[in-house]
Amino acid sequence: MRIQLEHIRECLEGIIPGHIATCDREGVPNLAYLSQVQYIDSQHVALSYQFFNRTRQNVLAGSPVRLLLTSHLTGAQYRLVLQYLRTEVSGPLFEQMRAKLAGIASHTGMSGVFRLLGSDVYRVLDIEPLAGASLAAPLPSNNYLTALRRTAQCLGACSSLAGLLEASLDCLAGEFRIQHVMLLMHDQPRGRLYTLASRGYPESGIGSEIPVGAGVIGICARERTPIRIGFMTSEYAYGRTVRDGIAADGLGDALETAIPLPGLPEARSQLAVPITAFERLLGVLYVESLADLYFGYDDEDALVAFAAQLGLLMDHHQQAEDLAGDAPGPTPPPAPPLTGPPLEVRRFPANDSLFVDDQYLIKGVAGAILWALLTDYVERGRIHFTNKGLRVDSRIPLPGVSDNLEARLVLLQRRLEERDAGIRLLKTGRGSFSLSLARPVRLSEG
Amino acid sequence: MLDREQLGFLQTGVSISLAACNPAGLASISRGLGCKVSGDGQRVSVFIRHSQSLELLENVRASGRVANVFSLPSSHRTLQLKGSDARVEAFDQHDLGRIETHVVDFIGEVGPLGIPAEVVRAMLAFPADDLVTVTYTPCAAFSQTPGPKAGEPIGAAP
Repeated sequence: MRIQLEHIRECLEGIIPGHIATCDREGVPNLAYLSQVQYIDSQHVALSYQFFNRTRQNVLAGSPVRLLLTSHLTGAQYRLVLQYLRTEVSGPLFEQMRAKLAGIASHTGMSGVFRLLGSDVYRVLDIEPLAGASLAAPLPSNNYLTALRRTAQCLGACSSLAGLLEASLDCLAGEFRIQHVMLLMHDQPRGRLYTLASRGYPESGIGSEIPVGAGVIGICARERTPIRIGFMTSEYAYGRTVRDGIAADGLGDALETAIPLPGLPEARSQLAVPITAFERLLGVLYVESLADLYFGYDDEDALVAFAAQLGLLMDHHQQAEDLAGDAPGPTPPPAPPLTGPPLEVRRFPANDSLFVDDQYLIKGVAGAILWALLTDYVERGRIHFTNKGLRVDSRIPLPGVSDNLEARLVLLQRRLEERDAGIRLLKTGRGSFSLSLARPVRLSEG
Repeated sequence: MLDREQLGFLQTGVSISLAACNPAGLASISRGLGCKVSGDGQRVSVFIRHSQSLELLENVRASGRVANVFSLPSSHRTLQLKGSDARVEAFDQHDLGRIETHVVDFIGEVGPLGIPAEVVRAMLAFPADDLVTVTYTPCAAFSQTPGPKAGEPIGAAP
């Protein structure tokens, strides 16, 4: 069988550096090491351009290009013939390579020396396996087709967004053997991502935020492309250090910093995949591991396919909740009269932040939603609500129909449960829910 | 053109690769399995596998021009030599010991980077009758250690 680029992608991870040979106009050969080769598709790769050296002079002068690549798994070697097409200095490919190069530089002690100036895109004209011994390739850790099939069945059977999120995390752990996961939603007007679900951390971090463009997750969102790093690098830390560096841009729109972002402080492998539906960015799926090179090209492919289905189902559930009729759900049993000292709920209007018994709960849109619910309860004894009603409620600053209202409700519901604040939201049907209180409530502002 | 220290460097646990171009400018590359420097320090010999290097050997015979890179994984120190009088010679079985020493040294270099010895042994494996030697006089040398001095020439052409 003719060797294809897909068969030798492990050679591109940079564990054993590739070689590149070119020729100048006088016929003098030149040989250099490659830090990185990036797979683009079955016929194209990109090489990192870091220094203007003899290789680059020769390439720009039209020299044919030969690579020698080696598998760090089997020791097998391959020679490739390439044809230079163009150089990209920004955009998804460039950011993918820049992130990966940061990991390689860190792993090889070259941080501060390796700096990506451009992504040189080449067409692959030929791949030749070299004669010689090689080891048997290790068994793949997963059969991703089986995992995707089982996941598709599982996710397709979910009847709500909250159920879909739980099933997604279950599948990632059970079918994909991924133990550390965050699922973040896109808050487009504010240029933020907020954590809606997580697995594998001491604290869930639900409600924590990260700006679009910051770290692996933020760059994935900005470029709408998977970002994968195989080695620990401080350059792409996504945690508190990144968030500390972001200047607050006004109290009303400040980054959520009271809720810590979850995450492994010593993550060695990171992969962020955009979740989109119909060209719209819904969020980011982020997975990480304490092991080097835990995620390869196959993992990336599998999670991109996973995220594609997840995005469509998220979009579906969002719309279904919004479009569900106003018909009330099953009538809940009459609530027993509330007793005990009242819950003191205080709102700071500048950023819709809410405190329950002096403990911070949430702010922003989710804060505004809860305040509206509690106000209706205190003023009118109302406990039944619908998504439709919230969407037209002028007290809630939803940015538009593209906003994922159902995701905000799931966020609020989870945050309330985690805090065990005596306030709960109970789903009563598609697009409807009720407010459940353990104690009387007293509201105050400022 | 190289001093004793530099000549010694070529014979440590470095990664060795050799390239030569055809008349259309397309280069071929092979991994070196070891290296030998002549007693007077003037000639460098690289051992490669014949079966992996048919195109490279044809290019060497036709042009005599080679590019030869030596890089030490632990320090990234990298040296590129150029030659214009390269010749293909029969492998001298007395040099087998040099290859085995080189493979052991190289395994010691890349082990800390997570590359298992068996992978290196597979990569550098050879049947004893499949070896050939390419010998040349270095006519130019360049530092290719990553950093601001990468690409700078070393010494002067003889």
